[in-house]
Amino acid sequence: MKKRGRGIGLSFYGTGYGNGFPDVSKARVKLLEDGKVGLFVGGAEVGQGAKTVFVQIAAETLDLYTENIHLEMEDTDITPDSGTAAATRQTYNTGNAIKIACENFMEKLKEYGRRALKLNSTAGLKVEKGEVYLEIFPQKSISFRELAEMYKEETIEAEGEFIAQTVEMDPETGQGAPYWPYTFSACGVEVEVDTLTGQVDILKARLVQDVGRAINPAMVEGQMDGGFAMALGYILFEDLNLVKGKMKNMKFSKYLIPTAMDMVEVENIIVEEPESTAPFGAKGIGEPVMIPVGPAILNAIYDAVGVRITELPATPERLIKAIEEAERRANGG
Amino acid sequence: MLAHQGKSVEEVLNLLTQYENCKIIAGGTDLIIQMREKRISPAVLIDISSIQELKEIKVDGPFIEIGAAVTFTDIVESPIFEGNLSGLKKACRLVGSPQIRNAGTIGGNIVNASPAADSVPPLLCLNSILVFRSFRGIRQVKLEDYFKYKQKLQIKEDELLTAIRFRRPEGTLSFSKLGLRKALAISRISMAAMVKLDEEGTIKDIALASGALGKYPMREREVEEFLLGKQLDVNTVDEGLKILREATDKRLAGRSSYPYKRRAVERLFREVLSGVVA
Repeated sequence: MKKRGRGIGLSFYGTGYGNGFPDVSKARVKLLEDGKVGLFVGGAEVGQGAKTVFVQIAAETLDLYTENIHLEMEDTDITPDSGTAAATRQTYNTGNAIKIACENFMEKLKEYGRRALKLNSTAGLKVEKGEVYLEIFPQKSISFRELAEMYKEETIEAEGEFIAQTVEMDPETGQGAPYWPYTFSACGVEVEVDTLTGQVDILKARLVQDVGRAINPAMVEGQMDGGFAMALGYILFEDLNLVKGKMKNMKFSKYLIPTAMDMVEVENIIVEEPESTAPFGAKGIGEPVMIPVGPAILNAIYDAVGVRITELPATPERLIKAIEEAERRANGG
Repeated sequence: MLAHQGKSVEEVLNLLTQYENCKIIAGGTDLIIQMREKRISPAVLIDISSIQELKEIKVDGPFIEIGAAVTFTDIVESPIFEGNLSGLKKACRLVGSPQIRNAGTIGGNIVNASPAADSVPPLLCLNSILVFRSFRGIRQVKLEDYFKYKQKLQIKEDELLTAIRFRRPEGTLSFSKLGLRKALAISRISMAAMVKLDEEGTIKDIALASGALGKYPMREREVEEFLLGKQLDVNTVDEGLKILREATDKRLAGRSSYPYKRRAVERLFREVLSGVVA
């Protein structure tokens, strides 16, 4: 028989290192010889899209097109430390550092603009679209390129640092506010369980993710699909088969991960509720997108066949074993 | 290690007698893995993948002959296996992934002799004959016997499997596979059925074969005997399932994987029997 069930999973997740641990990101911004802007960040791109959103945050802050931002990222010789690409922290923490660095850089540009334009003060100077100009008399204007040419003997640059706010928990009471900010997620799935083979088919899936602000909505959706696929593998397929501490499934013909054929179409819903301490309101979502999916699938299995799977993955064999035990109990055996 | 690209069957047969410790390679989807894991270390590899004669599917009156180096993709894309033979096409479509189906061959699937080889149960239902060639002549072996009497009948060092031959059946062939995911999955169980029904729905001819329900893929003779002459209805299928389980109980009892297979086999049995009327 094939039985259908529905399940939901909900989660809230504290991003960053948390629990009072120093969580620092740095970034540096520099005017380049050709008038473009160099962005130096010591964070790692691991496929999450950091390189894209970092450039977007800098471009938005500096009011430039992204092609005018030159990003240097992995070289630790020339980039400041932006901390690990971990704990769902790069967009929020390093994003904030970049925004602060860009704001400091604009103040530097105004100072150089004042000198170049022979003004008494930086009051009323604006930095927009690659130019520094006086708002009340826009003819007083100089481009980034001209500034770079004029001050090529000097280095026009600025740094930004962001230290996340976290409170160490009281070791006696366990009370405190260990993380900030939190990210919220919800997932709902409908499954069909084959009670003969123990196979689980996901018929419908919906994933809802609070992002604060989606800096790049397409990439957020990519992360959501990826998080769902990872959870799908974790819940239904991936089995290290540990025997006395040794991995028995040492190859991908035994350690099964979902293929494109196993992945389902996920209806992704992005919830935008800007976070006041975040760069343009954007929170990290790297880990959170996976978390509610597993409980949703397992709850749907329970709804379908009435068995609770407490050891992962819920392979067909394990599921059949649980179903048969439940049948025996029902028959009084 | 030497590697030869064979240009003709004769040349391959010649090389097989000339060298010792040879392995024939066609798609290499099993062989290369075995070599990498050092389970085999051939001194000479003879590639047959560019010998046209071995890559053809021939129809000769009521007979169909599939060259040993025909790939799974070739079978999936061939119009010859539409209609009542689509069960073979389905089995080949469920092998591995597109890359494996493009390289892997039907001959390799048989000679590698995995109990889970997907193309074998449908070929067993078709009463297929294997054609081996060597300088000693042509040897024809029933596919069923090839697995059953493997010690005696298996491919000899100077032989090349050139073709698989069967008569186009009057009945309909169907196939069902239980894999642990939707692609790149080794069959936990596979099953094929060829059934000819008369107008009243009575089973006039039947062949049923299973994969991974024993040491090798095999015909389920007790079930066939029971089903022959019966009306193909719910009761018959239920009774047939009991007989199938009695047979597998004898073969597989005590194996840790068996309790699961014993239950799951019902899905495949019902699917292949509904597949022959669909």
